[in-house]
Amino acid sequence: MSSVCILTPVVVAAWPAFSAAVFAAATSLGFTILDQTSSAIYGSTQAKGSTEVELEIAQSELVTDSLARQEQLCVTREDVTVTFSRDARGRAAICVSGTGRSKDELRAIGEELSGRVVQQYVYRRLMEEMSARQFLVVDQETDENHAIRLKVRHWEN
Amino acid sequence: MPQREFDITIGPDGKVQLHVSGYKGQSCLEAVKVFQQIIGELQSQQPTCEFYEPEEEVQTRIENRQ
Repeated sequence: MSSVCILTPVVVAAWPAFSAAVFAAATSLGFTILDQTSSAIYGSTQAKGSTEVELEIAQSELVTDSLARQEQLCVTREDVTVTFSRDARGRAAICVSGTGRSKDELRAIGEELSGRVVQQYVYRRLMEEMSARQFLVVDQETDENHAIRLKVRHWEN
Repeated sequence: MPQREFDITIGPDGKVQLHVSGYKGQSCLEAVKVFQQIIGELQSQQPTCEFYEPEEEVQTRIENRQ
């Protein structure tokens, strides 16, 4: 048979795997990573008058052990800062803030970045799992719409 | 060994389009399940014409000639 399927990703990741996807997605969109010290300072001294939008990655679960410290990752581009963290329900929460920006603008920036994070998560998970199952990636490219295209072969006994 | 091909497009929003080919009949449903396990939920599935072809089997024809 042949078929064409659409699959909606479910992100279930430990913090290191999730933060690796955030790092790759953020740098591809021109964000820079704030180190943990800067992140802490940023969190406590957020500029007055800045606008803030809260988002979350649907169908996400960041697994962590109960003793793990509060994890968060901040990235910044121009006057916009995006903070990724794990919310109380274990979902990936995103806070986008910036001065002189409307909530709609910030939401659009956050949604673009969160989409790319999911894309990177799926890409990494696929590459890992396909390698383990002896699927061979024979071609890959990123097209003009920023979609990652993979051509994969597998030989069955 | 039969060769199976998978064209995978991971969109910038993370959604995945998977085109499975090289299977006859409904045997590719198992392959789709593997990708479901890796990626997530199956939102839609559109069979192509190969889906309706008979599943692979070995056919032997013996002719007696006198």
